[in-house]
Amino acid sequence: MTAALLDACLALCLPLLAWLVLRTESLSQSVVLFVAMGLLSALAWARLDAPDISLVEAAVGTGLTGALLMHTLSWTDERPPDVAARARHRPWAVVAMAALTGMLGWAVLSLPSDDPGLTREVDAHLAESGVEHPVTAVLLNYRGYDTLLEIAVLLVAVLGARAVNPRSERTTPEPSRDPLTGELFRMMTPALLLVAGYLVWVGEHGPGGAFQAGAILAGGGVVALLTTRLGTPRMSSWRVRWALLTGPLLFIGAAVAPLFSGRALLEYREAQAGTVIFVVELALTVSIAMVLWMFFPGMRPARAERSGKEPS
Amino acid sequence: MSPTAWMAWPVILPLLGAVLALLVGRKGVRVVAGVASVATFTASAVLTWEVATRGVLRQAIGGWGPPLGIEWRADGLAVLMLLTIGVVGPLISVHALDHLGDREDREFLPLWLFVWCALNALVLSADAFNLYVTLELVTLASVALIAVRRDRPGLDAGLRYLLFALPGSLLYLLGVALLYGLYSALDLGLLGQRITPGPVAWVAAGVMTLGLCLKTPLFPLHVWLPPTYTGAPTPVTALLSALISKGSYYVLLRLWLEVFTPILDWQVGQFLGVLGAAAVLWGSLLALSQSQLKRVVAYSSVAQIGYMFLLFPMATLGARTGAVYLVVSHAAAKASMFVAVGNIHQAVGITELGGVQGLAYRMPFTFLAMALGGISLIGMPPSGGFIAKWILLEESIWTGQWWWGLVLLLGGLLASAYVFRILRGSFLPLPPGVTVRSIPLGNELAPLALALIALVLGLVPWFPLELLAVGTAR
Amino acid sequence: MNPWAVYALSGVAMFSVGLVGLFSHEHPVKRILASNIAGSGVLLVLVALARREPTGAPDPVPHALVLTGIVVSVSATALGVALARRIARIDATAKAESTGASDPEAGGGSA
Repeated sequence: MTAALLDACLALCLPLLAWLVLRTESLSQSVVLFVAMGLLSALAWARLDAPDISLVEAAVGTGLTGALLMHTLSWTDERPPDVAARARHRPWAVVAMAALTGMLGWAVLSLPSDDPGLTREVDAHLAESGVEHPVTAVLLNYRGYDTLLEIAVLLVAVLGARAVNPRSERTTPEPSRDPLTGELFRMMTPALLLVAGYLVWVGEHGPGGAFQAGAILAGGGVVALLTTRLGTPRMSSWRVRWALLTGPLLFIGAAVAPLFSGRALLEYREAQAGTVIFVVELALTVSIAMVLWMFFPGMRPARAERSGKEPS
Repeated sequence: MSPTAWMAWPVILPLLGAVLALLVGRKGVRVVAGVASVATFTASAVLTWEVATRGVLRQAIGGWGPPLGIEWRADGLAVLMLLTIGVVGPLISVHALDHLGDREDREFLPLWLFVWCALNALVLSADAFNLYVTLELVTLASVALIAVRRDRPGLDAGLRYLLFALPGSLLYLLGVALLYGLYSALDLGLLGQRITPGPVAWVAAGVMTLGLCLKTPLFPLHVWLPPTYTGAPTPVTALLSALISKGSYYVLLRLWLEVFTPILDWQVGQFLGVLGAAAVLWGSLLALSQSQLKRVVAYSSVAQIGYMFLLFPMATLGARTGAVYLVVSHAAAKASMFVAVGNIHQAVGITELGGVQGLAYRMPFTFLAMALGGISLIGMPPSGGFIAKWILLEESIWTGQWWWGLVLLLGGLLASAYVFRILRGSFLPLPPGVTVRSIPLGNELAPLALALIALVLGLVPWFPLELLAVGTAR
Repeated sequence: MNPWAVYALSGVAMFSVGLVGLFSHEHPVKRILASNIAGSGVLLVLVALARREPTGAPDPVPHALVLTGIVVSVSATALGVALARRIARIDATAKAESTGASDPEAGGGSA
């Protein structure tokens, strides 16, 4: 009973928060509400027995995205006042929202209510996949090709973001002089590395994996940007390029190797699949961490109070 | 290597090329990109040959096969698209090298290779979710390309494109989720077998079509197109119009002809056809009323996309052939015209339509390309556009829907008016005080080569037409 | 009503709010937020669909799709905010130049 109540509460709060995010006039409040919404949805996904996703959502979908948006506000709040942050009042918007929800809800409610999906098929071949965790099996074996293209998506995004803002690769103008934060970072680093390594390893048989680990490492990188004199990695450095690209190169190599012995792309031999997947994941962890880290250009002191008073 | 193994290379080689181009840093980018382009084109050509001689090829990636794994499927339509991308894309990118600066090269080339990889992956994929990933890869790489010059118009155009393409992809993804929810499958073939009319199929088809039409874009969702095409660097506009916009159209075509066939009612077909016809007329009229050269060509794209939607009301194999033939010839013709526009901007630095005055004498190849491309847009013989429109016209009469034939003829008439407006000006005497910078010969020849492809498509249509028939007998 | 259906409807509602919000706002940050909301909605629908069988482990296929979806969405967000930031900086520089300030960076910071 309490569980049902919690579910109903969460399910009701999510769209409500979403509406508030877009309704609020102040941009910084919007972002804060967005982060709150993200944390609630991570909770919803935990309720739906999706711990892998809950982890990634909390770290990437909410944490990193929220930080990126917050950080962007310190740049964009100088936008001319003619672009108001608030939606013009449009009656059609409410009607459209209701109509869309109704139509989509109708389709959702006509779906069968106890469909196992592909659970049986995934389980039937789990032994051949080289890993014990079904989600990892789908991600890196059954549908590993999706993941290969997804790595390309990450590379394109970081290349594009860097191409647009090359000059913002400056070092932090004033890293926090607070000795406590610097010390905290030094103490955190080994723990972060340990957690990331553990997440890759555990991904073979439980919730975890390259994305979760990469996100943790990237989070550490962002903290380093804030607290130390370390600058954002530059594309012009060959070390950075190798760190970024070794993972994708290894993955491509592992993908095409079977082609030369008459098998299909990504068709690992059953005996080697586990090892290949683990090595690829380890290399990808570094690349993913680098990409997510490099999404953050040089820091500027945030002016949260100012952006709180958006011109309306 | 087995024939099916060849399917991997048109996807893997540009991806590998892009990664290596990033890795080598500024010095080796051109060499790596050049080698990757030649290799990718060769792989596409070999695959085309294999399909032409052996018929449809399939590869179960990872060895799993549907429903668990992703499958690649190469039929005649797919390899014709591969070949189009592999010929038109590199010609545009060669032109881009001179048009953009040295600095942009380093970013343009890897990004173009990513787009190439993504488009090839899209064309070969037979998996609904994998198509979503390829669509997003195309989108993000395109956005980065649009903004590659870092100027205000390009940045605005890139952001605008992103914020229209993203909801398009999300609508598509929601449709994929609904289909998976009912049929527990993502493979297009399986979905096609299992589909039944009902709320899920209707709503999924609706949101997916809406999303893809937003990305392509189909009238009246085209509002983002003119400013985006105008703000992007001209070679990128050529890529967008010739190849990238065809990506989402291709997915739409596959969906309606292979998955949603049982629910493609007469009304649905007519509805899409009416929007297509409106796009033809509205796009052409607006092209006629523009004062900027680039906008004329951009609005012409709105119109040409409209023709491609005339396929849906007829929904015959012949109409499919006509629409795809238009996709291919429009890719060549429109790429040629945008590249020519780029040359003109470079030569005189005037963006107004009047800027072309007197240039036919100074840039003969560029204007020859413009004229040949224009002929294909109008649909006059000999051109690929003529063959495509002729097939569509025949089908419209054969299916008893003569009104679409009327749209084709009217659209051609309007197109001849806006093409004539450009060409007429170019033969007027050069106004005094205008200096014409000389254009490298390679830059003048690139649009001509593209326009010649459109011409050849009209002269020897047998090979592409036979290729298109591979895999249709089911 | 089953829990999965409750969450799926919630996802659908989030998607609608985000999609409509995307087209009724003009500020780029708001529009990026809206597209993230719409994206979360779709992903919530997928996760809910995976949990329709009340017993046993949920369907791992939608879970894997959602993980991919989150990565794609953070990539799009990063690219979008990079563009928005650059635009803002160009505007700030132009403003600083028109008011006669010498240092564009300082102009952006003190405007």
